[in-house]
Amino acid sequence: MTPREQRIFGFVVFAAFAVFVLVLPQFISDFRARDYAYVGIYLIALLGLNILTGYTGQISLGHGAFMAIGGYTTAILMAGNEQFGGPIPSGVQDIWTLPVAGLVAGLVGLAFGLPALRLSGLYLALATFAVAVAMPSTVKRFEEYTGGGQGIQLFGLPELTGSNAVASGEDFSAPATFELLGLTFTQNDWMYYLAWSIALVAFAGAWLILRGRTGRAFRAVRDSETAAVSSGVSLARYKTLAFGISAAYAGVAGGLFAIASAFVNPDTFPIALSIFLLVGIVVGGLGGLSGLVVGAIFVAFLPLWAQGQDLGSVLPDSVIQGDTISIPILGDFLFKGTSAPGGPAIVYGIVLILLMFVLPNGVGGLFRRIGQLITNRRYSRAK
Amino acid sequence: MTRRRSVVLAAIGAALAVTLPAAFAGSAADPGISPTSIVIGGTSPLTGPAASYASVARGANAYFQFVNSRGGVDKRKIEYRIVDDAYNPAQTVQAVRRLVEQDRVFAVFNTLGTESNLAIRDYLNQVRVPQLFVASGATTWGRDAAKYPWTIGFQPSYAAEGLVYGQYIARARKKAKVAVLFQNDDYGKDLLASLKLGLGRSGSKVVAAEPYQVTSSDVGSQVAKLKASGANVFCIFATPTFAIQAYVFANRLGWKPLVVLNAVSGTSNIMVLASEGGKNKLVEGTITTTVLKDPTDPRWHNDAGMKQYRALLARYAKGANPNDVYHVYGMAVGYETVSLLRRLGANPTRTALMSRARSISSAKNPFLLPGVSVKTGKGDNFPIQQGQLQRWTKGRFVPVGGLWASKRN
Repeated sequence: MTPREQRIFGFVVFAAFAVFVLVLPQFISDFRARDYAYVGIYLIALLGLNILTGYTGQISLGHGAFMAIGGYTTAILMAGNEQFGGPIPSGVQDIWTLPVAGLVAGLVGLAFGLPALRLSGLYLALATFAVAVAMPSTVKRFEEYTGGGQGIQLFGLPELTGSNAVASGEDFSAPATFELLGLTFTQNDWMYYLAWSIALVAFAGAWLILRGRTGRAFRAVRDSETAAVSSGVSLARYKTLAFGISAAYAGVAGGLFAIASAFVNPDTFPIALSIFLLVGIVVGGLGGLSGLVVGAIFVAFLPLWAQGQDLGSVLPDSVIQGDTISIPILGDFLFKGTSAPGGPAIVYGIVLILLMFVLPNGVGGLFRRIGQLITNRRYSRAK
Repeated sequence: MTRRRSVVLAAIGAALAVTLPAAFAGSAADPGISPTSIVIGGTSPLTGPAASYASVARGANAYFQFVNSRGGVDKRKIEYRIVDDAYNPAQTVQAVRRLVEQDRVFAVFNTLGTESNLAIRDYLNQVRVPQLFVASGATTWGRDAAKYPWTIGFQPSYAAEGLVYGQYIARARKKAKVAVLFQNDDYGKDLLASLKLGLGRSGSKVVAAEPYQVTSSDVGSQVAKLKASGANVFCIFATPTFAIQAYVFANRLGWKPLVVLNAVSGTSNIMVLASEGGKNKLVEGTITTTVLKDPTDPRWHNDAGMKQYRALLARYAKGANPNDVYHVYGMAVGYETVSLLRRLGANPTRTALMSRARSISSAKNPFLLPGVSVKTGKGDNFPIQQGQLQRWTKGRFVPVGGLWASKRN
């Protein structure tokens, strides 16, 4: 394919995907829409992380911390912290907190980008990891702002869109609906559309940033810092910029995460989250955007599959016997969480290793290879 | 081409037309109830810092499977979905929404952890799904029943427990200087506040109190500070992993106080671990309280309830350690749940479940100590309000005095 054809093909796929996202809730259960809302949220975070790690070559093991900054910004703006003795009153509607969450996290990211200039490779990874490790304690330290270990409860606040939803009929646990802009939403569908409309905009934004001058500079920094500098690329400028953009994405994702969970506490954004995000971009493919959708699905669903929550719909009956999964050679695993401490982690690990064997360049790498195959065939036919 | 597309659209339309009304048609029964099953669910830490509590869910599940093998409750089998939340309230919120909205459980049951249960309480009360027998002793479950009618606890409240320790210390030691290690959340703070209340004006008082975070890796620095306070009584209000650490650190520092250990860690298997194979003498004389029969106690060797306990665990929880007393807790709460469900009759509803849960009178739970009854009623929203003080003596717990009872909470 020529670059022009590639771009048109990209637009078509993106438009088709957007339509798919729009209609998907019609075909899945109400609760499933909430699951997919989390996929959208993770996608935003992964897009940001890939700009930093996949395109600019700066490894971050601390992106959960930037999500935490966004999440707490959203939660504090919504609920205020007067209940803990802090100065901020409640009252900002949830969606208006998201730009602020992105901005605050982005500024922190920019600030973190400065010391990061002196570090590279593993040392930078360690420094970002330290941020993720320190984040829970920092949140607890400033209890009057953050509510400390108990966290901030957002459920039922008027600032949470859809908190006035009412269930129709006798069953109060049935999907509750509310009116917004003349449309009727269930709470879960609302969350889905909110997360995905932002995710699609974020996707287009990432593409725009990466296609031009800035993207070229990022890639130059990744491929060789020396070569980049000698071509006139300012390392300081582009590294901090990458950190800033990436952290802003994570901040928005964190804000959405807080809204979706209607609750934040220091453990909402554990160290494991940072690791999962890194796993997500590796699975999705470093240095590509489209594969990240699969990476986000992986981050959102694999822990559940590993726990056996959704296994029934994925694995054939012959593999599942009662409460155990039989895997040839490896033996039987208890599932449904009942009595297999460590079981989920083992399943998770095995799947990850297999995936890396089959798709060493992630899903994005697979997409690229398919694209190359098509191009090759067309050129060979043209001869 | 166009024809094929219209066929596809028609097929999708037809499929929706068939499935949607079915999805919205409500039946008479509450969610989770079918002619053959009652589905309940709850979270439990299967991984993470409090994974040792997974035994609670496992014990309860073993009891349900036993009841199911006998035909279940009114020919309905109890299906108990246990979901891991890693003792992380944010995960609890997601998992519980999944249980309610996707798995459509009848009730959320036995969810473990004070913070986790606080995080889901508003939600469950809004959607009117029972939050049954919360596995946490925070006082708020019983105290705030009017505000949260869909939530009920089970074990004695931490407020009652702390009060008993305070009163004991005031009696046993003149002018004791008490140092307290506590978890920095509602659970730890409940215990600390009521301990002070129990000490009253006896002349004994708390001279130092150090919190720890549930996410921290150890409590070494806290123990060192507490020792420096010159206290002669050491209250450990901590979950098992941290409690064991507290014993080990205190022993290494050469501190020899009287230790008072909270009930959530006061079990014989934990004491054996903390004694480091007999090297750590600090565990000797530890005071704690319990409501459960200890599986390692020779007193219950021929007890019918404990014989049943061992048989059920061997049969329905293969590989589980029978000496782990959290399994006993699980069976005790499983037993009460089954009797509660039986009282609902042929058409169980969530409303009926909560109203029966507020009028329990059960004196013969085979897994609880003789004399400990499970009771609720008008103005009494605390199922268990009794306990037995006990002292760790030469490798086992020996009762101290008779049963204590708390009037208020």
